[in-house]
Amino acid sequence: MLLAEQALNGLQYGMMLFLMAAGLTLVFGVMGLINLAHGSLYMTGAFACAAVAAATGSFWLGLVASLAAAAAAGALVEVAVIRRLYARDHLDQVLATFALILIFSEGARWLFGSFPLYLKLPPSLSGAVVLPGGLHYPLFRLVIIGFGAAVAVGLWWLITRTRLGIRIRAGEADREMIGALGVDIARLYTIVFALGAALAGFAGALVGSIQSVQVGMGEPVLILAFVVVVIGGIGSIKGAFVGALLVGMTDTLGKALLPGLLSQVVEASSAKTVGASLASVLIYVLMAVVLIMRPQGLFGARG
Amino acid sequence: MGELLNRDAIINLVIFALLVAVALGAHLAGDGFTVTLATKAAIFGLAGVGLNLALGYGGLISFGHAAFFGIGGYVTGILASHASSGMPVVTLPFTIMGSNEMLGIWPVAMLAGGVAALAIGALSLRTSGVYFIMVTLAFAQMLYYFAISWSRYGGEDGLSFYVRNTFPGLNTFAPIQYFAICAVLLALALVFTAVVTQSRFGLALQAARQNSQRAVAVGIRPYAIRLTAFVLSGMIVGLAGSLYADLNRFVSPAMLSWHMSGEIMVFVILGGVGRLCGPVAGAAIYILLEHVLGGISDYWQALLGLLLLGIVLFAPGGLIGIVTRRGRHA
Amino acid sequence: MPEPKLNEPILEIRGLRKAFGALVATDDVSLDLRPGEIHALIGPNGAGKSTLIKQIVGEIRPNSGSIRFEGQVIDGLDAAARARLGLARSFQVSSVIPDFTVLQNVMLAVAGASGAVFRFHRPALSDRKLTEPALFHIEQAGLADRHLVQAAKLSHGERRKLEIAMALALRPRAFLLDEPMAGMGLEGGRQLTSILSELRNEAPILLVEHDMDAVFALADRISVLVYGRIIATGSVAEIRANPEVRRSYLGEDA
Repeated sequence: MLLAEQALNGLQYGMMLFLMAAGLTLVFGVMGLINLAHGSLYMTGAFACAAVAAATGSFWLGLVASLAAAAAAGALVEVAVIRRLYARDHLDQVLATFALILIFSEGARWLFGSFPLYLKLPPSLSGAVVLPGGLHYPLFRLVIIGFGAAVAVGLWWLITRTRLGIRIRAGEADREMIGALGVDIARLYTIVFALGAALAGFAGALVGSIQSVQVGMGEPVLILAFVVVVIGGIGSIKGAFVGALLVGMTDTLGKALLPGLLSQVVEASSAKTVGASLASVLIYVLMAVVLIMRPQGLFGARG
Repeated sequence: MGELLNRDAIINLVIFALLVAVALGAHLAGDGFTVTLATKAAIFGLAGVGLNLALGYGGLISFGHAAFFGIGGYVTGILASHASSGMPVVTLPFTIMGSNEMLGIWPVAMLAGGVAALAIGALSLRTSGVYFIMVTLAFAQMLYYFAISWSRYGGEDGLSFYVRNTFPGLNTFAPIQYFAICAVLLALALVFTAVVTQSRFGLALQAARQNSQRAVAVGIRPYAIRLTAFVLSGMIVGLAGSLYADLNRFVSPAMLSWHMSGEIMVFVILGGVGRLCGPVAGAAIYILLEHVLGGISDYWQALLGLLLLGIVLFAPGGLIGIVTRRGRHA
Repeated sequence: MPEPKLNEPILEIRGLRKAFGALVATDDVSLDLRPGEIHALIGPNGAGKSTLIKQIVGEIRPNSGSIRFEGQVIDGLDAAARARLGLARSFQVSSVIPDFTVLQNVMLAVAGASGAVFRFHRPALSDRKLTEPALFHIEQAGLADRHLVQAAKLSHGERRKLEIAMALALRPRAFLLDEPMAGMGLEGGRQLTSILSELRNEAPILLVEHDMDAVFALADRISVLVYGRIIATGSVAEIRANPEVRRSYLGEDA
């Protein structure tokens, strides 16, 4: 029973990471850009949701606002800063987007203060449901899993079945070629960036609803999303999906089970502390193993 | 090239002399606070000098150098706390006692930083480009979470030790004397960097950065060269972490955080990548900005962000680059 | 290192095969490079010349086949180790260290060849074990007065010569020159032709080249690579007369 609940938690966590990692990996793949400020867009979505939900009383409007605000912030940042960085080396990209984090974080602190905000779920989304087998599980976490799956399917459809998707894939394969095909690259890049931003903002709003909304919430998730991308392989949406679920499951199950497993070997109190320490580094061990076996990631084409 | 090298040498001397002059002047004026600020600049400069070896000369964009900074700090904190409690750090396989002697602590901090850099570098250098950035960032984050969950040494709250460690013949509590220690170590690191980058190894390292295929074609293995530079870099940053811990008499997971990695990188960039004294200038400017902008606004980091953005977009040579009117250094 | 007997090949390639998925880029290629000779490798674009070179230098691994260098099987050695054995390579597109001076570039090659790059204290520029051989090879390659110029500021032809100097610094036992004439003017090409004909006194040359005048003027033997296969190997006259070669490759000229 505990195991099933933790597996669902891991699945939900993985879905969140996927929403973050999908945007990152798209931007890497299409534009060759490393964007540290992706976590800031996540935070932007969370604050937009919290502010709009508080002002209108509607959580659903808040969710819409999270998508809109993050997409708008993404497009704005792309036009103002990011597009000057495509031709630059990775160091410049890292520094400029690090600078963006500082600006976003301080801006959010100035607007909303340093104290965490809490979102109230509407009654239709709160409470628990009874799953087959008698497990009581929070409805909203199931909803998050559903959203994540829907986004995964939607992205798959977008990339494989639509004109925009064809252009995105062409852009990954050969940047000059899509220019030659008469595609407006500047616009395509802005759209891809805004799309990734919207997904990150959406993830921020959802996670903000179960935890809290505060300055600096984006970066720990960003780094986990990096781990996901490294495991999955740059530019691969499928890799991001598999990597995200792997990381989500490993982290959640590790934290739930390791202390218990260790207590069979060593005495209980030290098992608890050692187990917690080990569990906190487990996903990085996973990443290290992938790096040793397959440095280009599970689904990465390029080295 | 000779003439330019001389101009660089003069700039380097001026930067270092300015730092020392500020500290001495403040000391004579009885302004201990400014001496401490200068000490902080020297320590951050030392961390930047360490990162510069990997980043500037080796082209290794590590966003995880906080790992080595924090490890140096934790080694110092742990040894000092055991020295005051009298309990050994470990008893198996042999007994290691705590220490409050800087001369004993520094080598351990550097060794620990170097070993961590060897492990992280050996894995990270299997990748390149954006992967390398993400992987170094992730491994540093791993240590950050490990420190948070390591309740024995304070966990999230960090670890305080109430007495600054000692150095024979000096009173480390006198701000100017501690500054002198840090400044001398900084000078040694600068000389070390200057010598190493001019050596055969430095030639190979810079060649591997600019054209790794060419380096291979003349019989050089870039991986081994880069890993060596990464380890040396980690050792210097570990030493800086040790000094920083002693400055504050406190270590916490914040020393290991991604934000710290970003800051060390900013020291290098503000001054100018691949310039010997660039990180020192960068660290001094950073501290100055923190102090001046921080006095104007609580949100000074946003202003720092704007400044950094401006430098990246419009002045890629850093602030020294503006002075010397040259692009990014060789 | 075993000294090869006279006229035994320096470089012996046997049955090399490399496939990328369904595309067979190198199909059972065997090739010899004998002491003192210039052996030209020609073939249309996409014939697999670059892939073959990359396997010889150790940049990519073949699926099967074997390479011997001076009698020693080098299949297990990486590119750096092969370079240190004296397998000196120049690149299709000039490849030097742009921020280094000519002297530093060649010193790098001397240091790399010596295998002793892990020296940390002595300034390389005052290390006469590096500077003296470097200056000698710079002069050999015809760049004597340019040794303090930054490589990025060299003309195209000078950069080619710098590559030759770096190859010489490896104390080569064999040269692999990938289109050294590419992009050279008429005068530069003539100069390079005379340098190449002197290089053969240092070590034999496997020459990949598109400039047929240069190939016919310099080469002792020619191998023709088409679709990953060697369709003919022989003297200049034999290759000129070979009907299959005329049909499949020289066709447009003949």
